[in-house]
Amino acid sequence: MRSSERNIFSFLKKYQIIIVSSALALFSLHLALTDKKEYARGYILKEMISYTVTPVQGVVLGIQDSIRGVWADYFFLVGVKEENETLKKTMYSLVDENRRLKEEARQDDRLRALLEFKEALPYSTTGAAIIGFNMERWSRTVSIDKGSAEGIQKDHAAIAPGGVVGRIIEVNNGSSRVLLTTDLRSNIDVLIERSRVKGVVEGNGTDGLIMKYVRQIDEIQVGDQVVTSGLSGVFPKGLVVGEVTKVEKSTDNFFKHVEVRPAVDLGRLEEVLVLRERSFYNE
Amino acid sequence: MKEFLLFLPLTIIYLALKSTLFASFPLPDIPLIMVFYLASRKASTEGALFAFVLGYLDDAFSGGVIGTSSFALVVIYLAVHLLSMLVQFTSQAARAGGAAAAALVKGAAVYYILRYSNIDAYFLTHVVLQALVTGFFAPPVISALQRLVMLVTPRKFKDNES
Repeated sequence: MRSSERNIFSFLKKYQIIIVSSALALFSLHLALTDKKEYARGYILKEMISYTVTPVQGVVLGIQDSIRGVWADYFFLVGVKEENETLKKTMYSLVDENRRLKEEARQDDRLRALLEFKEALPYSTTGAAIIGFNMERWSRTVSIDKGSAEGIQKDHAAIAPGGVVGRIIEVNNGSSRVLLTTDLRSNIDVLIERSRVKGVVEGNGTDGLIMKYVRQIDEIQVGDQVVTSGLSGVFPKGLVVGEVTKVEKSTDNFFKHVEVRPAVDLGRLEEVLVLRERSFYNE
Repeated sequence: MKEFLLFLPLTIIYLALKSTLFASFPLPDIPLIMVFYLASRKASTEGALFAFVLGYLDDAFSGGVIGTSSFALVVIYLAVHLLSMLVQFTSQAARAGGAAAAALVKGAAVYYILRYSNIDAYFLTHVVLQALVTGFFAPPVISALQRLVMLVTPRKFKDNES
């Protein structure tokens, strides 16, 4: 080896780090400055790197998503549980309030209808709320929250906007008991509004009424309105008792068997008006 | 070569985490600390190549302009190598200061290359903050790297040599 060649090799060996570093720095600078101008020189390396970098980043992001999922689905639910309990309580409270408001609105509607009915009646009346039901077969009565203190007496008539409810059979100081028209013991003098045929309506012990003493020759048909005749003195004349639903020949061939549906749905009744006059014979 | 094989997977894991989970956190520049460590300890041509590869990976993972970090790391490698002939980076303070200065040099180099390419870069928030964080974490990271190298280096005891 010649001396000049040896000198070159020794120079390269001595400064190899500087030479290699400078070459790499220049190459890097070249990549950096040409990359912006979209020269293709760095493109191949960049593509190669993207094949290795992207999967690694994908794995990391996948792990991150899993951790986030676990956190969101399990650990975070500790707080959600408490929040859920609070929300449930709030919801129950709101549901309860909503039910109460709806109930008040329905009560307002009913009382408004009752008031209008009361104002339309030519009799002095007392409004009362039903506070108890007794719907046994042998006894169909309701308790109301008004009694002798409010001027209510035995045999006063209880009515509703739909028609007759019953009559007072028991009076206490602050409450009374009403015998409903459907009670077996109830009987009311009535007449058919259309044909003026007379009869007596009695309770059948369930939810219906039976109109008795209608002769075979009397004109009566399904759909006829049954109203009070005013003869008993308890109910004023002309109050609706019910509607004829069935007309049949009786087994004795003398009277007809007439079934009547009460004008008032007694099972859903909540307020009544009590007529504070004892006798309506004079009407 | 041994360091290269040891540090490369660590760098890839670090860059993957940095570019995904901790993208908005000011993490210390681990590749730069590795380059600083290698250059100050035992410089070689493989070290220069390693600096280039680390810089290239840094750019690839961060989505930056390819070549900026590799240029900066290779220049830093060379500068630290030359400087280590004059200064010993053995104390904690020297390592911290050296790494911070290197991070500043890297940041400045990257900043000016990006500015030359008309890309917006923020010197104070990006470069200075990164340099401070890197300088702060450099001593413990270098100690950890040293321990790691020692773990994979077989020990030779004089008593056993015959």
